[in-house]
Amino acid sequence: MKQFLIITWWEFARHFRSRSFLLATFISPLIFAAVVLIPSLYLENTTDIQPRIIGCVEFDTSGVCQDIRDRLIESQFGKFNSPAIQFIPIKTDTSIYMRKRFEELAYHKFEFDSLDDAYNKVKERRKYIFQQPKTPNREALLRQTYGQLIQTRESRDLAQLAYQKRKNECDSLWRVEIVRNADQMLADLRLEGYLLIKPEEFAMGVVEFHSLFPANFLEIEPLQRAVEVVIVEQRLKREGMRVDKIQQWLEPIVFREIQQQGEEKHEFDFLVNYLGPIIVVLFLFISIFTSSGFLFSGVLKEKTNRVIEILLSSVSHNQLVAGKIFGLGILGIFQIIIWYSIMIFLIGLEVINASEVPFLNLKNAGLFLLYFVLGYFYFASIFVGIGSLFSNEEDAHHLNQFMRMLSIFPIVLAILVLEDPNSMLVRVLSFIPPLTPTFMILRTPLGHPPLDDYLISIGIMVVSILLSVFFAGRLFRIGSLLYGKKPSFREIFGIMFK
Amino acid sequence: MKIEINKITKRFKNIEAVKDLTFTVEPGQIVGLLGPNGAGKTTTLRMILNILRPDEGDIFFDGQTMRRQIRNQAGYLPEERGLYQKYKVIDVLVYFGRLKGLNYRKSHVEAVRLLDSFQMIDYLEEPIGHLSKGMQQKLQFLVSLIHDPEILIMDEPLWGLDPLNQELVKDKILSLKEGEKTILISTHLLTDAESMCDYFVMINKGKVILKGTLEQIRKDFYQNMIIVETNKNPELLRKIPKIKDIEFDDSRIYLYLDRNASVKETMREIVNKVDVSRIELHKPSLSDIFLQTIKNVTV
Repeated sequence: MKQFLIITWWEFARHFRSRSFLLATFISPLIFAAVVLIPSLYLENTTDIQPRIIGCVEFDTSGVCQDIRDRLIESQFGKFNSPAIQFIPIKTDTSIYMRKRFEELAYHKFEFDSLDDAYNKVKERRKYIFQQPKTPNREALLRQTYGQLIQTRESRDLAQLAYQKRKNECDSLWRVEIVRNADQMLADLRLEGYLLIKPEEFAMGVVEFHSLFPANFLEIEPLQRAVEVVIVEQRLKREGMRVDKIQQWLEPIVFREIQQQGEEKHEFDFLVNYLGPIIVVLFLFISIFTSSGFLFSGVLKEKTNRVIEILLSSVSHNQLVAGKIFGLGILGIFQIIIWYSIMIFLIGLEVINASEVPFLNLKNAGLFLLYFVLGYFYFASIFVGIGSLFSNEEDAHHLNQFMRMLSIFPIVLAILVLEDPNSMLVRVLSFIPPLTPTFMILRTPLGHPPLDDYLISIGIMVVSILLSVFFAGRLFRIGSLLYGKKPSFREIFGIMFK
Repeated sequence: MKIEINKITKRFKNIEAVKDLTFTVEPGQIVGLLGPNGAGKTTTLRMILNILRPDEGDIFFDGQTMRRQIRNQAGYLPEERGLYQKYKVIDVLVYFGRLKGLNYRKSHVEAVRLLDSFQMIDYLEEPIGHLSKGMQQKLQFLVSLIHDPEILIMDEPLWGLDPLNQELVKDKILSLKEGEKTILISTHLLTDAESMCDYFVMINKGKVILKGTLEQIRKDFYQNMIIVETNKNPELLRKIPKIKDIEFDDSRIYLYLDRNASVKETMREIVNKVDVSRIELHKPSLSDIFLQTIKNVTV
């Protein structure tokens, strides 16, 4: 027992003073947290500070852009935290050529309108004459105006055809011109995006959003909502609803997101409730693999420089392995205590508002520690067994990398937990030992798993640890004195199950 | 503390690394375990230290099997050396002292005393990685002595040391012998073994091929050799019945005598047969015995 404690203390003390431990305790978590948080914080803050300028292009003059703008202003009113969108209907400053075309079109329109007017006047006159008593003079006037009517109608129809032709040409050219203009504004970064409203598609509820950068496609829900409101408004109008009622019905809705957590309820916060648990899991990952990594490289080095033989001439295999695992386990717990202390310190300084981060509580701290201990013992025994099989760092390095890749796997699967923390698939995965610590730590704040899940996962972990310690002991007993060639998988299995 | 190794056998898969090995190491005696590479020396040492367990046979220490108390009285110097490179000399020595049952204070005092006696006191606070290879070798030797062990088991203790430090270590080993410690050395350096060891166990392929004191071995080996220099036809010497084998080396002729040959009579016959410019009786060294024995066994 005394020698076990001496080894425990030695392993703890020598690694506690190492630079790797300081790095893993203070620098790695900062880097991990930064990698996760900075993009989200950046997006949040940039949208807070700078309003995003979104344009609106419509192919007709029905005023949809203006309606969307009004609805957007209404929905953003009083919301200072949400990203502000400045919505600008794009007026087309057309080219000289287009202006000339428009002037020509206006002339044709004028011509058509004049002829139409003249035609209507002739028609009115004939109507008046027709209503007069039948006289020879009336008949003569009717014949005379009939010729005028036919002639004016022909002229009007010809003018209409000419106008329609010009108009179609102009419309096509104008659509191209206005889209080109909007694209140019995008390219000049005067706009972050624009809505393209084509009347025929808009009636069917289709609106295009054009932008250059992927980030601009995020956070456009207020705009989508405003477009939806306008479309619904138009549809209701078509159905004959009263305009004042429509506006009343379409008042912006305040949607409060309340998450029930155990017996408590809290406003849902993406950063806290979604990214928070992932950061916690990353901390768990760092802690488990700092200690297990030390164990792995320690055993390998001791074997390479034959210190292991001196150690084994002083203590038994079991004492040595147990001392190492416990020593580095205490190091991991110490690392977690350092993080807890930093957390308490930051809460004390009000840098972190504990009431806004509901999963920062004693119960979860205890669970985190429990799953660290279980995860650590599980991985540590695997690492110690495998580490003892290799006699040089190069051979072991590849396996170590592979093991680390495997251990990152649960974090990759974390998305399943975020989607539905208590789904059957997630529950089943929670009971697979390499995934258990990560999944249970993630599920705790997100889904409040039932007590059964805790008991089953702990039970499975305990059995797995006992098995892995048993096999690791066998591997260590043989492997620690095995030099020269790399053992094959067959030999490894031979040692384990002999 | 007397070590009795009694018919121990160790197998790795189908290979018998050590087979029916039996010998004894008495207190105040240095026993040399000799043998070519792969003979089973290191496996034997590991079994004595309980790092490996024999498949058959027993090892007794003053009539008792290995226990923690006995383990704490054993010092071990493995063949290949290396210590915790990043850690201070004193910390590492104290750690190994504590593993051998010393308390922190005693371990610290012993570490300082040993470092001082080996002129390494200036390196007390130095990381081991900063020491020269020779210094690290000496430090490793000190690690095996930190707890003043009753049993000292060393694999190639002089390997890698310069002549000066070899002498220092050799003197220390001899002084330990004077102090009635039980010492078992495995080595390839047969000249050093000859000068240090009182008893030899020569093994090959896990089996004892020769054992005893140097005198006993010589007597058992009984391979007297006469060296002759002559200008006459040396083939004439083949006619002498007591000569078993002849080897030529330039002007020298090595004549291996039969076990029951009388040296005096044979020498007389040689002088009668050829004109001898030089004749000399050569007693076999440990190295000769080692080489010849291994050769015979292999043949």
